Amino acid sequence: MLVVGLMACDKGALISCVMRGLAVGDGCMMTEKAAGAGCDEARGWAVGLVNKQLVAPSPPVDKFQLLPEFLKHTYIIHAKNLHLGNLVANFDLPHFVFFVNFSPHYTPFFSERYAAPIYVNIVYSNGSHGQLPVMKREKAIIGRMPIMLRSCRCVLYEKDEDELARRGECPLDPGGYFVIKGTEKVILIQEQLSKNRIIIDTDKKGCIQASVTSSTELTKSKTVIRMEKEKIYLFLNQFTTKVPIMVVMKAMGMESDQEVVQMLGRDPRYGALLLPSIEECASYDVFTQQQALDFLEKKWHGVDAIVKDLEEVVRGKIGDERQSACRLKFGKLDTTVTLYFNQEGRALGILRDILVANVPVHENNFRSKCIYVAVMLRRMMEAILNKDAVDDKDYVGNKRLELSGQLISLLFEDLFKTMNDEIRRGIDIILAKPSRSSRFDISQVVARLSFIGTLGHMTKICPQFEKSRKVSGPRALQPSQWGMLCPCDTPEGESCGLVKNLALMTHVTTDEEEGPIISLCYCLGVEDLELLSGEELHTPNSFLIILNGLILGKHRRPQSFATAMRKLRRAGKIGEFVSIFVNEKQQCVYIASDSGRVCRPLVIADKGVSRIKERHIKELKIAFYEGEAKVETTHIEIEPFTILGVCAGLIPYPHHNQSPRNTYQCAMGKQAMGNIAYNQAMSVRLQLGRLDTLIYLLVYPQRPLLTTLTIELVGYDKLGAGQNATVTVMSYSGYDIEDAIVMNKSSLDRGFGRCIVMKKLSAIYQKYENGTEDRIIRPQREGHDADRMQILDDDGLAAPGEIIRTDDIYINKESPVITSSRSSISPKGLPNSAYKPSRQVYMGPKGETAVVDRVALFSDKSNNKCFKFMIRHTRRPEVGDKFSSRHGQKGVCGTIIQQEDFPFSERGICPDLIMNPHGFPSRMTVGKMIELLGSKAGVSSGKFHYGSAFGEQSGHADRVEVISETLVKHGFSYNGKDFIYSEFTSTSEYLILKLIKQALSTCSFIYWNYWYATTSIYIYGANILPEAETHVGMVVVEAGLKPVGSVLMVIAAVAVAIVVAEVEGKARRLGYVMVASVMVVCAGGNGMVVLMVAGKVLDKMHARGNGPRVMITRQPTEGRSKNGGLRVGEMERDCLIAYGTSMLIYERLMISSDPFEVQVCRKCGLLGYYNYKLKTGICSKCKNGENISSMKLPYACKLLFQEWLDFSSFSASHGNELVEYAEARAHNPIPHWQGLWYLVPLFLAQALRWSGHEMNYED
Amino acid sequence: MDAQPEPVSYICGDCGQENTLKTGDVIQCRECGYRILYKKRTRRSNYFLSLSDDYCFTRAVL
Repeated sequence: MLVVGLMACDKGALISCVMRGLAVGDGCMMTEKAAGAGCDEARGWAVGLVNKQLVAPSPPVDKFQLLPEFLKHTYIIHAKNLHLGNLVANFDLPHFVFFVNFSPHYTPFFSERYAAPIYVNIVYSNGSHGQLPVMKREKAIIGRMPIMLRSCRCVLYEKDEDELARRGECPLDPGGYFVIKGTEKVILIQEQLSKNRIIIDTDKKGCIQASVTSSTELTKSKTVIRMEKEKIYLFLNQFTTKVPIMVVMKAMGMESDQEVVQMLGRDPRYGALLLPSIEECASYDVFTQQQALDFLEKKWHGVDAIVKDLEEVVRGKIGDERQSACRLKFGKLDTTVTLYFNQEGRALGILRDILVANVPVHENNFRSKCIYVAVMLRRMMEAILNKDAVDDKDYVGNKRLELSGQLISLLFEDLFKTMNDEIRRGIDIILAKPSRSSRFDISQVVARLSFIGTLGHMTKICPQFEKSRKVSGPRALQPSQWGMLCPCDTPEGESCGLVKNLALMTHVTTDEEEGPIISLCYCLGVEDLELLSGEELHTPNSFLIILNGLILGKHRRPQSFATAMRKLRRAGKIGEFVSIFVNEKQQCVYIASDSGRVCRPLVIADKGVSRIKERHIKELKIAFYEGEAKVETTHIEIEPFTILGVCAGLIPYPHHNQSPRNTYQCAMGKQAMGNIAYNQAMSVRLQLGRLDTLIYLLVYPQRPLLTTLTIELVGYDKLGAGQNATVTVMSYSGYDIEDAIVMNKSSLDRGFGRCIVMKKLSAIYQKYENGTEDRIIRPQREGHDADRMQILDDDGLAAPGEIIRTDDIYINKESPVITSSRSSISPKGLPNSAYKPSRQVYMGPKGETAVVDRVALFSDKSNNKCFKFMIRHTRRPEVGDKFSSRHGQKGVCGTIIQQEDFPFSERGICPDLIMNPHGFPSRMTVGKMIELLGSKAGVSSGKFHYGSAFGEQSGHADRVEVISETLVKHGFSYNGKDFIYSEFTSTSEYLILKLIKQALSTCSFIYWNYWYATTSIYIYGANILPEAETHVGMVVVEAGLKPVGSVLMVIAAVAVAIVVAEVEGKARRLGYVMVASVMVVCAGGNGMVVLMVAGKVLDKMHARGNGPRVMITRQPTEGRSKNGGLRVGEMERDCLIAYGTSMLIYERLMISSDPFEVQVCRKCGLLGYYNYKLKTGICSKCKNGENISSMKLPYACKLLFQEWLDFSSFSASHGNELVEYAEARAHNPIPHWQGLWYLVPLFLAQALRWSGHEMNYED
Repeated sequence: MDAQPEPVSYICGDCGQENTLKTGDVIQCRECGYRILYKKRTRRSNYFLSLSDDYCFTRAVL
C-alpha cells in the first residue's frame, strides 16, 4: 500500500532560504553602493530607538547633494526584495516564455502573473512503516511566487534607463508592486507593534502590565504579566485562569523565593511589591517545582476532545482518513500539542514553548526564561513606582513596518504548512481579490491616475488594528515620527492619522543575522547570562544587553561597549542597520537587528563637527559647505525637507501654510491630471491591463516655475501634472463665489487645461464547446446598418483614427446560434443562417466625438483571439470642471469669459483665470501667495525659482525679499500687485494681479493678448492711460526704486497647475441635476500655479425622471451608471418632517418611489391578497375577506413584513408591537434561524426608514 | 473574417513589420514572433470634414 502521509519536504531549508533571502536584499546592496560612493564611514543611520539626537540647525547648502545618493538606495524599491535562493527563471509553459525575454509590462495581455517558480527538493517515503525506501525528487516546482517589480529577481533589476526604454518600461516608475492576473497590485506596508519586546502599559482598569508578543518560526503567543490587587499574575491563553507569578517561577525551577527577589534587584521596594504574591503562593502550598507543575496542570486549557483525538492519533487508533483530517484540523497546533503528551506533563510544555516563546529553552534549562520573566517583573515594578516608565505604544521605535516581502513570506509559510499544493492558487487568489475578512486584505490595485499618485501609493502605511476606536493616541502626530513618517500626508476622516506615509528618506530594515552579532557581543565583554547569579543581574553599574528582545547578558561598561559596536557598524563589519541604544533609565543596552524598523540617514558628527569631508563630496562630485553644530551634537540632519513625504514635497513653501491645507493638498495632489509614465502611450500594463481602464492625460503638462527639491528628486519635473497659469486674484463677474474660478476662453482655446480621456473596450473571439466559434465578417457597405459600420475596415474591426459616435459598431462579430456541446456540428459546414449577429456597439455620452486611438490583436491564455480598442476623447475645460492649486485650494470653473471681456494689465497681460480673494483670509495659505510672487519672478527672469520646505536657511527656497527684487528689476511692483483694467466695466481698477503666464513656447499668444489689450486701450485709451501711468509711478515711488521696463515686455508665465482627477464619491443634489466634478485650475503665487483636477463634469452630470427600478424593492436604482434616481435620504426626510410638508414626504417616499397596494386584515394584522374573481381582498389566515382593508404602502415595507414572516415571526403592521417583537427576539433567538436573529432589529430600522410615516397618512 | 478582396494588414508591436492575417491564423508576427499586433491607421482622410475638438486648432491654422 502506498502511504501518502505528509510530504517530508526540505521544509526547513526552504523556509530558511526564503528568510535568509529576505534578509539579504537591501543591507548588502547599501553597503556596496556606499563603499562605491566612498563615504561609507561618513554615513550613519539613526534608527528608531536611537533617534534622540538634537537637530542641529541646518547648515548652509549643500549636504542636500547627498540626498540623491541616499534616495537611490532607499525607499520603495527597497521595500524588501524577495529572494528565493538561487532560483532560475525557467519557464516551461509556452506563454511564460514571454517573461524570460520580455518585460513585465506585457503580462497583462495574457492576464498572467509576473512570477517565478518555486523549486523544492522533496524527500518522501514510498512504502509502509519500517522499511522506507526514501525517494528524492530534486527541483520540484511547487508553485510560482509573484515577483516584485524592480526587485532583485525582476528582469528590470538595476537596468539603466536605455535598457528600460528599450523594454518599453518607464525609467521613473518606482516598482515595488506585483502583477497579478494582469493588474498591478501594491501590498500596503503594515504597521504593527514590535514583536518579542517587553511593553509596559496599562489595561482598561488601569492595572499596570508587562506584555510580550512572542513570535518565532514555530509559535506565536502573547504573555501578559499584570498586577491586580497588589498581587502579580500571569495571563496566558493556554491557562484557563490567571496564574500567580510565583507559582510560575517555581514551576520553572526557581524554588527559592530569595533568588526571585535577588533577580529583581536589591531595592527593597521591589521585594515589597512581590511580597503579596509570595504569600499567595505559599497559601496554595506550592513550594517545590513539582507542586507548582501539578498546580498548573489543573489550569491547563485543554479541550478534552482535542486531546482525546490527538491521543488516538498518536496511538494510531484512528483510521487513515480521520487521522489526516485531524492533522489538518490542528495544523499548527500539531507541533505544540504533541508536546503535551510527553511524560513531563503539559504544564511544563506550555511554560517551555508558549510562555515568552521567543526565549529559547535548551534541554529544559529554564534559567534564561526565569531571568527574562524577572526582567519583565522588574520593568513592571519600575512602572508601578514611577509612572513615567510606562511605554508609549505610539512611539515609532516600538513599531515595526511589515513590507510586502515579509507578508508574502508569511503567507507563503502559512500556505506551505497547510497544503503544499495550494500555494500556487492561494497566493494568486488572495492577492488578486481583496477580501474583507482576510488578514491579507492588504493588496490594492496600483493607483495609476497620476505619477505622484502611484508614488504616494507605494509609500502608504496602514495599521493593523481596528479603525473604529475613538482614541486619539494613535491618530495624533507622534514626535518620534520626525523624519520617518510624513507629518502632512494622511487622509481626512475615518482613517485620519492611522494611515500614514513614509517620509522621503525613510528606510525600513530587513532581518540581519543574529549569530555573528551575538558572538561579537560576547567578544566585546558581555557576560553570559548563564553564568550570572540573580544577585549580580542588577548590580548598579552594569547594564543588561538585550538583542532583539532577548537578554544576552550584562556588561559593566555599557558606553564603551556601545561605542565599539557603533564603530564596527560604521566600519561595515556588522550590518549598517543594526541599532545600538543605551537606555540609562532601564539600565539596558538595546541592540536591534530585526526587520521592520524604520530608520533614516543622518550625518554623523564628532564633537559637533560633521564627518563629511570635502573629499567625500568631491568623490560625489558635488559642492560642499560646512555646517554648524554644538559640541554635544552627534548627528546632523541632511536636509530638513526630507521629513516630508513625496506628496507633501510637491508643495512650495509648505512651512508658510496652515497645516491642514498641506494635508488636503497631499490628498488632492494624487488626483492631479498629467503624465502617468514615460510609457503611458505604449505601455500595455497601463492601458490594456486592467478592466474598465480609464486614463486621464493632460495635453500640455508643464513643470512648475516655482519648484522644490523634492519635485526634482522624485522626477515630478519630468512627469509632472498641471500647468502654469497666469492668475489674477480678484473678484469678477459674480460667478466666482465659493471658490469658483472664472476662466479665460481664449486660454482654453490655446490648450489650457485640455485633457485626453482614454477608455478601453475589448472583445473576444470565442470558441464554444461544440467546436463552433465566433466569426467576424466584413461590414455591410450599403443598406440597413451600413451607416453604423462606417468606421469598420474590411476585417470587421474599427479603424484607428476614425471618429466613433454613440451607436457605432466597432466590431462586426457573429456568434453561432447553437453553442451547446450536444449538437456537434463541423464548424466549416455552418451556414450563414446558423449565425446571429453579436456586434459590439459603442455607447458613449451623446454629442461626444471620440476617436479610435489604437486597436490591438492578440491571443489570450486559452488561445482565444482578443481585440482591445482604445477610445480617445479630447476635452477642454468647461463650467463645473475642478481645478486646484498646490495648496489644497480647489474650486470649480464657475464661468468662462471671452478674453475681450477679461481684465488685462497695462502691459497687455491677460490672466488665464481669476480666482476669488476670499479664498485667502480663512485658509491662511501664505505659501500660495509666496508661490504667486516667486512664479511671477520666475517668468520675468526666465529662471526656475525654488520653494523647498524650510529651505530659506539653506538656500533651497527663495526669500521673498529676493523675489521682490527680481520683480522690481523687471518692472513689477515688489509685492506682486499689478494694475489691471477691465473694459467690461470701462473703468480702470486697482486690483491685485497675482500672476501672468503663458509658457515661453507660447509667446505668440502674448501678442494676441497684446493686440486685444491695445485695442481696448485704444477704445478707452483716453481715460485709461494717464491714470495707469500715475499708478505705476506711485507704486514705484512706494518701493523706492526706479521705474523700469516697458509696456511691451513679452512675458510668459508662471505657475503650475496640477490637474487633479477627482472621482468624487458623493454626488450633490442640485434640484434635478447633479453636478459633481470638474476640472479645476489653481493659482499659485503671483506667478501662478494652476493645477487641474481630472474628472470632468461630463462624467458626473446626471439627472433622471422616470427610469429603471430595482427588482427586489421596486425602488429606483442607485447610481449614475444605472441611470439611478436621486435619493431623498434620512436627513432630507428629517428636514421635510421638521418643515411639516407631509404631503411632500408622502410623494417623495412613496408615490415617486415604490407605491404598492396591499390588503390588510384588521383582525389578525397579516397581509392578505386580492382575489380578482371575487373582486375582494382575502386574508389567507382568516380565510375570509370580512375585515380586509386595502391600503397603500411602499413596496419595500411590504417586502420587509414578508421577510419577517420568513423568520417564522408573526408580523403585525403596528410599529410598537414590531419593535417589541424585534427586541424580544434579539434576546431569544429563534431556533432554526439562529445566527440570523440579530438581523431583526436591523431590518426594523431599515423598515422604518423605508416606510417613513406614510402608513399613518394613509390611515 | 471572410476572404478579403484587399487584406487588412497589421503592424507588429515589436519590430514594426507589416503582417496580414487570414481566418484561423495565430496572431503572431511572422518576422519576430511577437504576439501583439496593431491595426494600421485609417487611410480615409475625413479629419477636416468632420471636425471634432481634436482638430479645431488645425482648422484654425488652415
